[in-house]
Amino acid sequence: MRLLLAPALLASALLAAPSAAGTFVSPAPEAVSVSIYRPPGRSGGAIDLDDLQGFALISETRTITIPAGETVIRFEGVADGMISVSAVVAGLPAGVVEKNRDARLLSPAGLMAAYLGQQVTLVRTNTATGRETRVPAIIRSGPDGGAMLETAAGLEALRCSGLPERLVFPSLPAGLTAKPTLSVTARSDRPVAAKVTLSYLARGFDWAANYVAQVRPDGRGLDITAWLTLANGNGTGFPAAQAQVIAGRVEHDAEIADAVPDAGDFTASCWPWNAGTAIPLPAPPMLMREMMVAPAVAMMSDELSQIVVTGNKAVREDLGDLKLYRVPQATDVAARGQKQVLLMTQGAVPFTAIHRFEFTAGDAETDIQASLLLRLKNDAARGLGLPLPSGKVALFETVGGAPMLIGEDDVRDAAIGEEIEIRAGQSNAVRASTGEDADRAGLYHIRLTNARNVQVTAEVALFIDDNERLITTRPRIGKRDGTPTWTVTVPANSEIALDYRAKGRRQR
Amino acid sequence: MKIFVLPVICVFPAMALSAAATAQSAPPGLAITIYNDDLALVQDSRRLDLPAGRSRQEFKDVSARIRPETVTLAAAGIGIVEQNFDYDLLSPDTMMEKAVGSDVTIVRINPATGVETREIATVLAVNGGVVLKIGDRIEVLRDDGLPVRVIFARVPENLRARPTLSVTVDAERAGPHSARLSYLTSGLGWKADYVALFDETAGAMDMQGWITLTNTSGTTFKAAQTLLVAGNPNGSNPNGNNGGRGAPRGLVAAGTQGNDREQLGDYYLYPLQERTTIADRQTKQVSFLDARGVQARKAYEYRVGWLATQTDPQSFATVIKFRNASAGGLGDQLPAGTVRVYARDARGQPQFIGENQIGHTPMGSDLAIRTGEAFDVKVKPVAEVREQMGKTRWRTTMSYTITNARAAPVTVDLAQTGLWGESKIVTESLISRRVDADTVEWRVPVPANGEVKVTATFETKY
Repeated sequence: MRLLLAPALLASALLAAPSAAGTFVSPAPEAVSVSIYRPPGRSGGAIDLDDLQGFALISETRTITIPAGETVIRFEGVADGMISVSAVVAGLPAGVVEKNRDARLLSPAGLMAAYLGQQVTLVRTNTATGRETRVPAIIRSGPDGGAMLETAAGLEALRCSGLPERLVFPSLPAGLTAKPTLSVTARSDRPVAAKVTLSYLARGFDWAANYVAQVRPDGRGLDITAWLTLANGNGTGFPAAQAQVIAGRVEHDAEIADAVPDAGDFTASCWPWNAGTAIPLPAPPMLMREMMVAPAVAMMSDELSQIVVTGNKAVREDLGDLKLYRVPQATDVAARGQKQVLLMTQGAVPFTAIHRFEFTAGDAETDIQASLLLRLKNDAARGLGLPLPSGKVALFETVGGAPMLIGEDDVRDAAIGEEIEIRAGQSNAVRASTGEDADRAGLYHIRLTNARNVQVTAEVALFIDDNERLITTRPRIGKRDGTPTWTVTVPANSEIALDYRAKGRRQR
Repeated sequence: MKIFVLPVICVFPAMALSAAATAQSAPPGLAITIYNDDLALVQDSRRLDLPAGRSRQEFKDVSARIRPETVTLAAAGIGIVEQNFDYDLLSPDTMMEKAVGSDVTIVRINPATGVETREIATVLAVNGGVVLKIGDRIEVLRDDGLPVRVIFARVPENLRARPTLSVTVDAERAGPHSARLSYLTSGLGWKADYVALFDETAGAMDMQGWITLTNTSGTTFKAAQTLLVAGNPNGSNPNGNNGGRGAPRGLVAAGTQGNDREQLGDYYLYPLQERTTIADRQTKQVSFLDARGVQARKAYEYRVGWLATQTDPQSFATVIKFRNASAGGLGDQLPAGTVRVYARDARGQPQFIGENQIGHTPMGSDLAIRTGEAFDVKVKPVAEVREQMGKTRWRTTMSYTITNARAAPVTVDLAQTGLWGESKIVTESLISRRVDADTVEWRVPVPANGEVKVTATFETKY
């Protein structure tokens, strides 16, 4: 053991260690499954293709062959957004010694740092004569704050001569990788070939549910079509993947994922008092967000209602307390792309249209527009009866033969049996005014007017303070969710009045 | 020498003692002890070839994020004269600053003809511009806006490519000495990552634990003997429970069991079995726990705020409950980290169902991992009636409509909070349990595809 202390021997021992372990590179998965989750905070709303906040569980099947002894298995072709600490490799017959993610990236800064103190070639081109000179140079300073090079002439900074200058490195330094790389060190007592499953969470995915609800011409039901939109913001595509989305809120903390930052940029600089002559290196290529296919989801809903359904309909199953929707056939989850599959179609779903007002006892207000609500019951008897993941609803009505958008709303996760409420905007035709009676103090009237040529159902909620109570109401008021509420019919082209008297309780 | 040792002893008594204990038997090479909160103790045992008397030793391969005030060099037969940590880094800027008063070569290239002219210049001053003396002229460098190469003759002595630690030692005799350099550094940290595969029907869970080590220190530590300490010696806590106050997330009841895991004071130790290379910018995971068939069950929890009326039904939280006791399949301490829970889908493939954090958890504790919210199990609390009964007496009737759209019956834990010790239940449709002054809890069985309405009337005096 003492011998190891000698620096030369120590170095050779260290060099021997990695070469003793062979490397097996698994270039790409053979089969892949992608399960997409929404960010926990977002339930309705559209997805932002430029900044996909959700994530995915990716499970890949790969075949590996390893010799006896210690082997480093490198997994390539994984998603860029991989959260490496979540990676699980199952099915390895041998023991896993350790799992590593290396993020020393092959970049200008990485090369400069790796070649610190070593010889490179400085190539300089005389722009007037076109003559190229090559001189050996040793990198003397780290990548932060410019590069100092030592040549036969002395020391000078890179890119201060005004001539085109570049550094030529003799070879790729060990340990630098093009992308953060996951590897597993496995140990086996015999050569093995095995199918392993690599599963991991990855950032840069999202999905949304979009409902298109068309009011039937008779005004009595809704034809509902719902689409699942899957989006992959990663540079890695997953061809012929088994794709799923998971609905329901899942705890996930995006912040704690991978703590190791990527390498910084390298900029050559001369000295600070010479503005204009420092020539920065071109920045490393960034993720080209512009290259993303970005059809806005909200925009698409207009066209969606006309799309002919081809039958690629998502299949649902329960996953614990969540809902899993499976794309039935293998599908391509393309890099930086989105795709849509049908979630459901349902015709003639009955609904109740409610014109709702909210007042506080004692209010005096004039000319309030009703909020138009569509209430649906999510049960089989009324045409639905399936778990509906939260999403955006676009509500259309046919006017003069063409569908017109009459409202847009976010709906929450609705289990079977729940009531679903879609806010369709404000009504111009159904209005209300309220105030105290001219002669009798303490008596209040609410006047509802209906300018439509059909009767409407109005719901008027009357919020009341804890230390007040309603003495008389006409017609008699009911209750909804603990709040005194009238539900009344306002005939076509007419008006009705609601009266109440409120009184303060015994003062404390 | 004493100056550097003292602060270490003051701040880290336990560590200094352990260091003293292992001083004699330290094997050659690196030994690294990593704490949770971005702190590590590096002990580098190496052989130094020293001349007799004073000499200056440079240590270039120390962590780039070393805390230089914690450095100690220990070796038999040598005295420490002084320790220096030089961080004046070599760059074009510092080169020019250090060149004041010395000669540099300036090279001009005629942009039209490509002809090169060289002159020797003396740098007079570097104050917002470089003033040069060339022969008998005084010029400002690059005053004409044309590029000029400046060639320096040599690197000034105290400029270095990276921060460098140097120790001046006084050796009694010439020759090889066994020495150990130890220091604290940031940039190394660890936490645990757990993979739990939950089987609801079997009421069991398979759990693997991985130690996740991250190195952002800027330095690669080769073949290091690595020891991880589950604890936060300087009182800060990555789990957000300030100064040890407040139970970390996930812990329901702290356990009292122990096993044969090595301890350092109150901290548990996780030694890696083999020497390992911790590369710069590497995340390394090593397995430390593999438990099968741990008893686990699922629970539904919801806490209603005082007088909270919800017009939309609210989902119950899905919580996975288990114990890390010796009975039950998981007898080990659990260091702080993230538990990721998976369940099998209809095709038998594990799918992610949620994750959450746990703190350092002693053995025998009850844990509850909140994985998400139940799609099908919801509650709609409504404050139905508020009545004033007397000057300081109020009656509140609450109704809680609990719905279960699952095809199996469930039992939910529904809590009403905000009672402040002043409210008591007058009537209720189901017997509750007063958990504490502020909270009552009902365990409500809800049939498959069914609905249960719990009502309770509270009387509040204040």
